[in-house]
Amino acid sequence: MTYQDTRAAGRRTGHSAPYGGHPAAPVPTGRPRRGPGGRRALAVAFWLGLVAAVVPWWLDTPAGSLADTADLLTAGGRITGLIAGYLLLVQVLMMSRLGVLERALGGERISRLHRDLGATLLVAVLAHMSLVVVGYSRQERRTVLGEVGALLTDYEDMVSAFAAAGILVAVAFTAVRAVRRRLPYELWRLLHAASYLTLLLGYAHQFSNGAQLYESGPVRTGWIAAYLLVVAALVWGRVLAPLVFNLRHRLRVADVVAESPDTVSVYLTGQRLNQIDLLGGQFFRWRFLNPGCWWQSHPFSVSAAANDRWLRITVKVVGGYTAELRDLTPGTRVWAQGPSGTFTAAHRTRERALLIAGGSGIAPLRAMLEELPPGAALIYRARTPADVLLHQELDWLAQARQTSVWYVVGRRDDPGPRQVMNPEGLRRLVPDLTRRDVYLCGPGGLVDEAVAALRAAGVPRRQIHLTAFEL
Amino acid sequence: MRRALLAITGLAAGTTALVVLKGAPGVGSSAQDVPTALAPVAPGGSAAPEPPSPTGSAPAVVTPSPRTSAKPTPKPSAERSAASRGGTRTSTSTAPAAPRTTTSAPKVATRTVTGPSVSYDYGSLQVRITLSGSRIVDATGIGLPLGGQSGQRSDDVQARYSGTSGEVVARQSANLSTVSGATYTSTAYQQALQAALDKA
Repeated sequence: MTYQDTRAAGRRTGHSAPYGGHPAAPVPTGRPRRGPGGRRALAVAFWLGLVAAVVPWWLDTPAGSLADTADLLTAGGRITGLIAGYLLLVQVLMMSRLGVLERALGGERISRLHRDLGATLLVAVLAHMSLVVVGYSRQERRTVLGEVGALLTDYEDMVSAFAAAGILVAVAFTAVRAVRRRLPYELWRLLHAASYLTLLLGYAHQFSNGAQLYESGPVRTGWIAAYLLVVAALVWGRVLAPLVFNLRHRLRVADVVAESPDTVSVYLTGQRLNQIDLLGGQFFRWRFLNPGCWWQSHPFSVSAAANDRWLRITVKVVGGYTAELRDLTPGTRVWAQGPSGTFTAAHRTRERALLIAGGSGIAPLRAMLEELPPGAALIYRARTPADVLLHQELDWLAQARQTSVWYVVGRRDDPGPRQVMNPEGLRRLVPDLTRRDVYLCGPGGLVDEAVAALRAAGVPRRQIHLTAFEL
Repeated sequence: MRRALLAITGLAAGTTALVVLKGAPGVGSSAQDVPTALAPVAPGGSAAPEPPSPTGSAPAVVTPSPRTSAKPTPKPSAERSAASRGGTRTSTSTAPAAPRTTTSAPKVATRTVTGPSVSYDYGSLQVRITLSGSRIVDATGIGLPLGGQSGQRSDDVQARYSGTSGEVVARQSANLSTVSGATYTSTAYQQALQAALDKA
């Protein structure tokens, strides 16, 4: 069934939100747009850095000096080595939680890039090792294994370099999805954090044996400077910036409210909340400092636009950790890192927007609604009427901000959802679909289905914004 | 994942392209042949046993102290940079005719001749000889690999053959006894020496 601007039938458990279940009065937000400019600048910086990493090799190698196979192999090994060294730095930098990166790229895009670049880095390192070993073994007339032995015994810092490569391979193996799913999240994280060791262990051999970095000069200095910068970014993004943020805002749990039988909203208060540069749709990484939760941090979107009194997250209880959130007691201290993400109204390319939510995926969209100009549209998919969250607020926003809200309730194969979730159905609800930015948040199946329908209806890819439902 | 495959393909293609561009035989042979074609003859009188520029670049490589233990990676680069600098040097002093006249005119003065580069299993080398009239007074190998085992062999061969009191000066010919444990290097040195003598 498709309801428009009506309350879904069925029960709504829990009492209404105490801290202004009605959001703050809708003031037209004059937030500046944050287009893809920052992202493009970072992309340019990345490619320039890559070129800068390989240029020393190009300049050092006279044309035509690669006479035989051994020379060619060694040269390939050097190039891949330089690229691998650079990619490792980029990988670590991307994980530094640096505010600039989190705001320009967003946490989800960073983790996707980190994943893809990680695979590339692994291949680059393996190529570097095999090319150099084979190249040297041909030059020095040894067997490949003999050459490995010689590298380990005769060359400085090669033992640690081999160890670094081993760690990298192990980390890459545990990052394979099938393996990762079998490991407990915390163990996996610990293993993954071991990749910081590669930075340390792989460092020395680049300078003691690297043809381009061995001589002192601008190249060597620049390479060391890059290392220092990355370490500085890591310290700043991981330690200092969160420290400053949390000392400044001192977030605490104010209340935990049941939104439905299996969903809770956690309200947080703190100091100087009006100074947090938060956009609707962004998320923080939360660490609740109580005995059950302090040792892990999880990303949750803020489910109401920024105001100076409270922050709120709305979380579906799906597992052990989220179940713990139900039992948070008011006053619990919270350590937060963020805000992060490009899933915001400020990143849209068109004036109007269409939001498509599935289940608890409503949270970031609900926050975003307050920052969109009037005329937005929201399609809210829920399995049952009881799964419709924040219902009153949505209806209230719909009225106050002239937003059309459709609740599409039912299973995937029920007539209502089937009518809507296809190109024609979407076009019928939102005729100017192709001139809108579309924001999607929900379970993977729904998002895939909706993206396919949107693409078929002619919505350009850059107008479709996704956020990871689970990071 | 698709992007990762793309990136890996790009990596492979990029590396191959770079190597191929550098190693292109067309550019290569001409650049390599330059030093062979023109003998970089040092202007007559300066009979400096320590020759000016190409070896001047070698000590620059040697400066970082850990070199003795740190290894071959720098080796080919050092050798190449030496070779390349030799190449650029000769190509700047292009006119081959002018130096040749100077070499032939004052017969008695000492002169320095650098032979063509001979490549062998561990790299390539050139031999520079200093002649007083037709007598060899000094010889030195240039561009031999530094560092590692091949560097060790280079040092052995240099120590035996080169210098004002080396075997080259003693025997006055390219017919030298092979240094044991460094056969390739010895042979290459002898070939390069013969080539330099032919040219002188």
